[in-house]
Formats: sequence, C-alpha cells, structure tokens
Amino acid sequence: MIKDSVFAALDLANQRRAERRRFIKLAAGSTAVAGSLALLSACGGSNDDSTSPSPTPSPSPTPTSTGVATDIGILQLALNLEYLEAQFYSIAVLGRPLPDASLTGSVGTRGAVTGGRSVGLTGTLAELAREIAYDEIAHVNALRSAITTAGGAALLINQPAINIDGGTNGAFTAAARAAGLVGATETFDPYANEQNFLLAAFLFEDVGVTAYKGASPLITSTTYLEAAAGILAAEAYHAGLIRSELFARGTAAQLAANKIAAARDTLDGTGTRDAGIAVVDSSGNPTGASNISAADGNGIAYSRSTAQVHNIVYLRRDAGIGGGFFPAGTNNSIEALRTSGATA
Amino acid sequence: MTDSEHQMEAPSAPEPRRASRRSFFTGALGTGLAAATLAGRAVAQTTPAPSPSPSPSPSPSPSPTGTPTPGLSDVDILNFALNLEYLQANYYSYAIGSGALAATDISGTGTAGAASGGRAVSFGTETVIQAYAREIAADSLAQVRFLRGQLPSTAVIAQPAIDLSVSPTSAFSVAARRAGIIAGTGDSFDPYASVDNFLIGAFLFKDVAVTAYKGAAPLIFNKTFLESAAGIMATHAYHAATIRTLLYRRGQANAVLIPWTTGIAAARDALDGAPTEDLIRGIAPNDDQGVAKVSTPDGDRANIVPSNSNGITFSRTPTQVLNIVYLNAAAVTSGGFFPSGVNGTAKTSAASG
Repeated sequence: MIKDSVFAALDLANQRRAERRRFIKLAAGSTAVAGSLALLSACGGSNDDSTSPSPTPSPSPTPTSTGVATDIGILQLALNLEYLEAQFYSIAVLGRPLPDASLTGSVGTRGAVTGGRSVGLTGTLAELAREIAYDEIAHVNALRSAITTAGGAALLINQPAINIDGGTNGAFTAAARAAGLVGATETFDPYANEQNFLLAAFLFEDVGVTAYKGASPLITSTTYLEAAAGILAAEAYHAGLIRSELFARGTAAQLAANKIAAARDTLDGTGTRDAGIAVVDSSGNPTGASNISAADGNGIAYSRSTAQVHNIVYLRRDAGIGGGFFPAGTNNSIEALRTSGATA
Repeated sequence: MTDSEHQMEAPSAPEPRRASRRSFFTGALGTGLAAATLAGRAVAQTTPAPSPSPSPSPSPSPSPTGTPTPGLSDVDILNFALNLEYLQANYYSYAIGSGALAATDISGTGTAGAASGGRAVSFGTETVIQAYAREIAADSLAQVRFLRGQLPSTAVIAQPAIDLSVSPTSAFSVAARRAGIIAGTGDSFDPYASVDNFLIGAFLFKDVAVTAYKGAAPLIFNKTFLESAAGIMATHAYHAATIRTLLYRRGQANAVLIPWTTGIAAARDALDGAPTEDLIRGIAPNDDQGVAKVSTPDGDRANIVPSNSNGITFSRTPTQVLNIVYLNAAAVTSGGFFPSGVNGTAKTSAASG
C-alpha cells in the first residue's frame, strides 16, 4: 500500500512537471504566431491545471514568550539537521565524526551516532563530497556560535542521538524500504558505493532546503534571516550538485532518486512538496528531461513546516517525537519544534 | 501503473489556484507597502505564553546590525528582481532555440526594450546539458511570470533593453575581457559558440542571482513574499550548482574553464566593491569564488558553493548587483547587459570603484 501511494505521488509530480514543460515549450515556440490575447488565455487555462503554486502556508510552531525565542528555536532546529548532515558527510567522506567540542550543549540529551563508515570515495566525486562535508561542519559551528551569541551557551543544544547506520536496522534501510528502493527485507547501505552515497546525500539535502525556506518567515531578526538564507542557498547548491551528479549517471540512478523524492513527499502529508530529478513518461521511463531544481510551476523551491521536516527525519506519518534518523527526537527549547505532524 | 488513475487522485488534493493566490499576493503586497510606509518595519506580533521548556528563559537577542535601509518597497524589490529574471530568461530562451521572450511576458511600465543578439546553442550530442538548459529556461520563464503576477498590474515594469550579443563591444565580450577570458579589444566572447562557452555565460549570471535574492531578503517586508523570494533564490542555487559542477567536471578535460570561472568571479568581486565583513550575514569584501579546487588537510576539495568560512553564501545589495550587470564599478544608471538601464526605482549602481 505504501509503495502504491509512493508511486502514485511520483507519477503525479512528474506529470505536473511534464505538463508545465509542455506548456512552457508551447508558449515559447508560438511566440511568432501568437496573438497575444489567444496566448494569454491559453496560458491561463493550462496554468491553473498543471502548475502547483507553492506555499502551503507553513503552520507556525507554537510561539514562545518573545519573537526572539522563536528565532532561537528555529536556529536550534536547524542545528539538529546540521548535526545529522555533518556527521553523515564527515564520517562517509572524511572518515571521522565531528569533535566532541562541536556537539555538546546544555539543552536536551546528548546522544551518540549509530553507524556510519568511510565510503572510500576517490577522484572528482571525492573532491565534490569533501566540499559538502566541510560546509556542513561549518554550518554546525556557525549555528552553535549564532545560538550562543543570541541566547547564551545555556540555549545551545546537545547533539541528539543520530542513526546513520547502513545495516538492517539502520534509518537509511527503513527509508529505502519505504521508498521501494530495496525490497522489504533488503538493506540499503549508503557507504557501499558511490551511487548509494549520492542517494543518501540526496535524501537529506532537499529536506534542508525546504526546512530553511519554510522557517524563513518565522525568523524575526534580519541578521539571522540573512544567515539562514545563506545556509539555505548553500544547501540548495549542495542539492543541485547531488541531483546533477545523479542525473548524469543515467536512468537507474534517476529512477532511484525519483523514488526517494516520492517517499519524502508521502511522509510529509498531502500536497506536493517534493520532486524527483528526472521527468518520466506514462510508462514510468525517464524521458531525458531533467528536473534538477525541486521547484513548483512558478520556479520556486518548496517549503516544509517544522512538523513536516520532522515527519521525514523521523520517518513517520503521525505526530510524535523520535524515530528514523533521530531515534530519541531532535533537541529544542521549544517542544513544538521537536514534533512531527499527523500526516497519515 | 495500469490502475493508478484513482490512486493519483489522492495526492492531487486541494491546491490553491494560481489566480486566487495571485490576488492574495497582490493584496498582501499592497497592504505591506502601506504598512511599511505608515509605520516602518513591523515587529513580531505574536507573544503567547512560553511552552514549558527545560531551558533557561531566553536572554535578549542582539540588536539587529545596522542594515542600511535603502528605502525600497517590496514592489521596488520585486521589480528589481524582475529585471534580472528578464535577463536570464532571455539568455536561456535564446540558447535553447526559442528566441526572445514573448511580448506578453515583457510588457509594463518604464522604457521597454528588446533582448537582442542571442541565438541558439548547438548542443550536439550533449543531451544532458541540453536538458539542463531547457529546465533552466523553463524555470526562468516561470519566475518572470510569477514575479509579474505578484505585482499590481499598474506597477509591473517592462523589460528594458538587454544586450545578449557577441560583438567585441558587447556586454559578454566586455565581461569576458575583464575576466581575462579574451584579451584584445577586437576579440569577442560568444556564449552561443559552444557548450563550454554557454556554460560560462550561464555561470556569469547564476551566482549573482543567488546573492541578489539573499541580499534583498532582509529588506522584504511581506513574509509571504519573503518565503517566495527564498524559494526563487533556492532554485537559482540549484541551477548555479548544476552549472558549476559541470564546469568543474569539464575543467578536467578543458583546463581553461577553471581559470575562466576564477576570472569571472574576480571580475564580479572587483565590480561590486569591498563591503565590511560580516561572517554571520555573509557579507565580505571578497564575496565571489570560481570553482577551482582548494587544498585541505583531507585532500583537495571542489568549490561548487561560493561561501564564507561559516559555509554561508554571500549577499549583494541591489546597487552592488547593478555594478555587475552594468559592468561598471561606479555609480551609473546603465551599461553592460542593460544598455538603457534597468526599469524601476532601484536603478543606480553603487559607487564601488
């Protein structure tokens, strides 16, 4: 059942995208002929049906006593995601976890990292991956510094328990099974080869983009807004890099990535907030058209609410705290910012 | 997927229609504009009770750093962005063989001009890159239409004159000369001549768009539009990464591509002046980077993300962005890719030289 709905969502997303492309191509191709009124009305109809304007307005989290505290909660939420990404890349690419000094804080329970090992990347892909690893580590340290500056060391969160295991009980395997990437009893090991590593990276990067974008209107300080926008852009560069590398590897990689995107889109509830990397035809075969930007019909990247982000990293469709990549939940001073939504 | 028809109904559920969303945005923008004019920047409005949390109560945040308010309304910022989207959308539209944008996509107030001098790139067997080009063209056009849809119809600016030509005195050639890609005054740079040249032409704009939206973010009053702008920025960053990753990989075979990106980044950096460093906001005197690899204790790393030591990408103010597209470090109102200047309120570049 899960698999069916995953495929259905995927088909739908791809169909929308394809329709949008056709519409745009049509519009561009007919410039010479088009009576402007006729073109306009044609566009109007097609638009309404094929595009999916983005902002599902993100439900704002339970606000706290001051706007400032919300800002700090958002920074803390971001730090949880960066802990996850930084540990994954650092271990997979550099062969070591982050130092303890970058992981300890005062808020929440300090957890350990379960799983993870070096992929043994070489050549150009290793160079590309090293850059991402360095960036994610920098994001951890930048957010820790920003939180300390904004709220004092007492508001710095501990790294929560993180599961990046590639084995049978690993969060990656659970995600890959839900996506139909592997069978119900098979494992998915992101450290086994280049393509698995890229798919695992793909699983995280777009979520980071949607999380920062969804949080952007909740931030009241223009300083932190600008900082968050800068991290958002960095995550989108990373996501574009990973998606381009996967697309260039051919149809098998494209279809695998599409499945992950569809699974994410199912986890976070109804509505389209995700897109695969390749457009497919009615038989499910890639057409050769790319979809590097995970964007709606307006060319705008998607948003996720803080709860929807947690649905994905917890790999659950109900409301709660913990699961998936964060077995004991994320750490946050604001309880609502640790919680997934009821999306099932 | 034979019986998927009714399955596909489920996720398609209720999505806001574009038209109604447009009117909402327009209304919201108008309101935002009025509020900004009357009352200045609003402060956080919701202050319900704190949720019980294990942490100490929050201490006051640092006061916002003194962002100079350039006096631009959301409409001004939107129109400023629209100029940049006209430029990029036409570049990609020409490159994929669709010619300039249609008249209905470029009408509005201000001095209308043509986007001239572009032509189709012959992608040959490079079908993956052709697919990327088509995707970016589609996204760029969608962004033009989106931005136009947000503005009150009387406020939408027309496309200004845009120079996409390839003569020795064209904007592309002037930029390429500044970047050290070509040398002699009689030489020209043709971004349509090859796939590599097309990627270099794309590289010239893409990162600038990211920095432009990021620099504008703290200036945007309306939160809904802020979120949309963040989404357009993200899409540009996705595409910028595609372009940069391609150049990085192709630079292994065609080594000249790497120093070309470095040269373009240096030229952009020289044009936009040297603002005071702010590591958290992502402002810096040296705020641009090519793709050349960087040595680290763990081995060489690529440089796909132009960013500071915090992994934060850079911001440019509207006036700095104009320095780059006008190809002029001085305070001017036209030049480079916009020979008659951009349309709208934000028209003059910074005195960066």
